[in-house]
Amino acid sequence: MNGWLAAACLLLVLGLGPALCGAVVGPVRSRLLAQNVATVLAALVLLLASPGYDRPAYLDTALVLAVLGPAGTLVYERLLAEDLPRGTPWPGLARGASWASVAVVPPVVVPVCFAVAPGRTTVKVLVIGALLVAGSAVCGRALAKAPRTAAGEGSGG
Amino acid sequence: MAELPVLIGLLLATAAGTAAALSREPVHQALVLSVLGLALALLFTLLQAPDVALSQLAVGTVLTPLMVLLSVRKVRRRPREESPADGRGEEG
Amino acid sequence: MNKAVRLWVLGVGCAGVAVLFAGAFRRLPEFGGSHHPYGARAVAAALHRHTANVVSSVNFDQRSFDTLGEQAILFGAVLGTVVVLRQAKDERRVPPEPAVVAPTVRGYALVSLPLTLLVGLYVVAHGQLSPGGGFQGGLVVATALHLLYVAVDYRALERLRPVPVFALADAFGDAAYLLLGLAVLVAGASFLGNVLPLGTFNTLASGGIVPLLNAAIGIEVAAAAVVLLAQFLDQALELVPRDGEHR
Repeated sequence: MNGWLAAACLLLVLGLGPALCGAVVGPVRSRLLAQNVATVLAALVLLLASPGYDRPAYLDTALVLAVLGPAGTLVYERLLAEDLPRGTPWPGLARGASWASVAVVPPVVVPVCFAVAPGRTTVKVLVIGALLVAGSAVCGRALAKAPRTAAGEGSGG
Repeated sequence: MAELPVLIGLLLATAAGTAAALSREPVHQALVLSVLGLALALLFTLLQAPDVALSQLAVGTVLTPLMVLLSVRKVRRRPREESPADGRGEEG
Repeated sequence: MNKAVRLWVLGVGCAGVAVLFAGAFRRLPEFGGSHHPYGARAVAAALHRHTANVVSSVNFDQRSFDTLGEQAILFGAVLGTVVVLRQAKDERRVPPEPAVVAPTVRGYALVSLPLTLLVGLYVVAHGQLSPGGGFQGGLVVATALHLLYVAVDYRALERLRPVPVFALADAFGDAAYLLLGLAVLVAGASFLGNVLPLGTFNTLASGGIVPLLNAAIGIEVAAAAVVLLAQFLDQALELVPRDGEHR
């Protein structure tokens, strides 16, 4: 049990636990924000598992999640466009959690960069970090900007 | 102590699975299933099975939600609208 | 049988299962011991054939026949879905409406599409070296294509994705796997045997037949996933009942 795994455990308990709670209660919009947060935190835990277990191969798992995770959230946001307008009961909390999940990426990515072998692996870790920040920010922004009034007229969605 | 990550992963997966089973509405369930998929992928990685984790991520992040939500959309459409007068389909 | 009786029966059943489970649990061997007869042999065989990813070695070399069956299952499942979800006589096809997409989402998805494609191809190509392989990488490639649906709309995706071509690619991947096995048979070894030069350990050109079978599975899975999603997308976005027919 080293520092990396301890940090991973912390992220699991303090991050993914509340994210799961957020996905279970509330209207669709806050659930989707919770799913977005869960994706970012899961990718960070996968990233921490690599130096934690001393296996560079686990970075590929984090890379795939960093690429597919925001895509999944955008798919939800696209196909649930009619369900989103019913707003969040705690809009501040939801948005704060969203930006916190973006803010926690650099403090995890930078130490991992130094822990892995220099060269291509460092670039891979940086790419994962950049994808997570960009993807999470885009999803959070898209969800925040989704129409807040119910779509009663116009096109079918 | 060395098993702590695996234990937390197991608890998370159990909680997510239970929550998914207790969800009533298909859309809510799809979102909880997404988190369950993430918990399972984490559990597989913590149990030193990254290939399985990759398979779970590849299937559960985009493909499964897409299929579930498209099915929900198809099933919901009937009661909600008349057949479109201008012959257009769903917003794609 | 009313609800109370049902709950009692459930309670009795659960109690019985709990007793048996606890009893069996006490006799279970330790999790993760040091004695793995099959694992030790599988790892030794993988290293002997210069394949760094033991899972890929098992999937595409030692048990490649099972993978042939698995890809046949995927092919059959997609075929079944195509049959069930195809346009029926009482349905007609209408063009899908264009969608309004926020510029940040569109920009992100359009940048992410080639990146995801690259990651998918990377996962397929490195199947014999790092976790992944044809199945996982193929699904990532299929997802990459559908990012165009997220970025723009279904009409754009349809232009990029002619379903007959992908259906052919699916069949081609399946056939390639089978033909590779037969080619090895014709060359004098056993079906799907690993007779190609094994290469240098931990490089892209290693593992003999494993990279080739990986590529075949990658093509098959990617095409199968695209065809599968096409059926769902068509049903949800394009097919409507003919006028006068309300379900």
